[in-house]
Amino acid sequence: MQIIEAGASNQHYWRSLWAKRSLLYYLSRKDLSVRYKQTFVGVAWVMIRPFLIMVVFTMIFGAIAQLDSNGLPYGFVVFAGVLPWYLFASLFAETSGSLITNGALLRKVHCPRLIFPASNLLVALVDFTVSFCLLILMMVWYRIVPSWQIIFFPVFIMMCACTAIGLGLIAATFNAKFRDFQQLIPFLLQMGMYISPVGYLNQLVPKKWEVIYSLNPLAGIINGFRWTLVPESIPVFIPGVIYSAVFSILALLVGVKVFRAAEANFADTI
Amino acid sequence: MTYAIKVENLSKRYLIRLGNPAGSLKELVEHYRRKFFYKITPKFKTLGPDPYEVIIEEFWALHDVSFEIPRGAKLGVLGRNGAGKSTLLKILSQITEPTSGRILLNGEISSLLEMGTGFHPELSGRENVFLNGAILGMGRTEILCKFDEIVAFSEIDKFIDVPYKHYSSGMQARLAFAVAAHLDPDIMILDEVLAVGDISFQKKCLKKMEAISNSGATIIFVNHGIDAIRQFCNHAIVLDHGRLILDTDDVEKAIALYLGED
Repeated sequence: MQIIEAGASNQHYWRSLWAKRSLLYYLSRKDLSVRYKQTFVGVAWVMIRPFLIMVVFTMIFGAIAQLDSNGLPYGFVVFAGVLPWYLFASLFAETSGSLITNGALLRKVHCPRLIFPASNLLVALVDFTVSFCLLILMMVWYRIVPSWQIIFFPVFIMMCACTAIGLGLIAATFNAKFRDFQQLIPFLLQMGMYISPVGYLNQLVPKKWEVIYSLNPLAGIINGFRWTLVPESIPVFIPGVIYSAVFSILALLVGVKVFRAAEANFADTI
Repeated sequence: MTYAIKVENLSKRYLIRLGNPAGSLKELVEHYRRKFFYKITPKFKTLGPDPYEVIIEEFWALHDVSFEIPRGAKLGVLGRNGAGKSTLLKILSQITEPTSGRILLNGEISSLLEMGTGFHPELSGRENVFLNGAILGMGRTEILCKFDEIVAFSEIDKFIDVPYKHYSSGMQARLAFAVAAHLDPDIMILDEVLAVGDISFQKKCLKKMEAISNSGATIIFVNHGIDAIRQFCNHAIVLDHGRLILDTDDVEKAIALYLGED
């Protein structure tokens, strides 16, 4: 027998999330298949956007500003920064808007609301994998062979996803009530791309600013991401990486907590 | 006979913000800033009323509603717009929580509060059946098992791989009802499901609902058309302004009361 009363939906939360896994699967599949319907190049869009950013950044930072790339091809340096940045940016933006995007569903169907951000995660990981193939091609082209440090690669992907989801859940919760965040987020992400080491190496940041620079959790993540691919050329800034790791776990925990605390009322506030 | 649903003193309160509603962060910040300055400088009041003043008013969409539905009943919920029908169904479907009171449920509940929730226009009918099935709570294998039956019921087998957006509204309604009709829940909530579709399809829906009911399920049915309630239900409740005013086995009496209010 089941009881419905105020606060009852918090019991068996994770179990009911698991019970709805087929919904998670079909929601993600819908997002993946709908997005590029009626487009000419289709799925290639996933690669075209990061690719174009790479071309532009390589021109600006590599060819014009002639920044140091530690002997690596500049295009590769940029692409290895664009990939984690794109994972973060798209996942954060999608998660923060997920309640509004799925508003119609939310008002008519009962399910653990975390299922919507979870499907955003799956979609973002698929996108990431597709553009990662392009990075592998690039490494083959430039004959870059990874060493044993590559085993840490998934760790940085996880850190990146946790940070994005955690911050995204907080933003989504506020977004349900105050749509200001919807206006703010694209702007924040635009700035974030420049204050994160996407188009340049974080080793170029002057020593005295290194600590302040690393307060941006993406700095440690992108640094670590590049380090796992080419450890000989890219030194890892350990304090920054540790900070990013702690930040990502805290962001996820706080994000889930904030989201769950407001969850019961989403259908009324959206 | 045991009950399928027992509702005990159920109430739902909504808070309505009046005045220049604090819908945006700026307005809310401004509201609190002024509140703060009112406190520290009483003279501030002479500047006139606070344009961001927010008055919060209570609205009880449901007020102390109690009733019991026996297992296998076909309950019709009657009430005018704003009587609390939708709120009751939303609480039963666990979309929103009650403010106080509780509901005891014997069995799994499935609800169809809107035809075709989550159907995506760009996806084909086939893909939509799977998506919508998952939304309504079916697992992948369950949908696979029932897929042919669903398509046969919807009578659109020829167009099942055509994008949903190219379907006529009648076809869309048929497919949506077909998915929901194959849920086999213990308790089924249907809100205005007959609003779309032609007469023959409505008849088919009612027949299917009858079949679901005969298999032992309890059905809660909301419909603005009185005829379908009269034909289908064997139990009725009437809501008015959030309060339960009648709970009876005599459907005719409930309908008379509901119509008499107009």
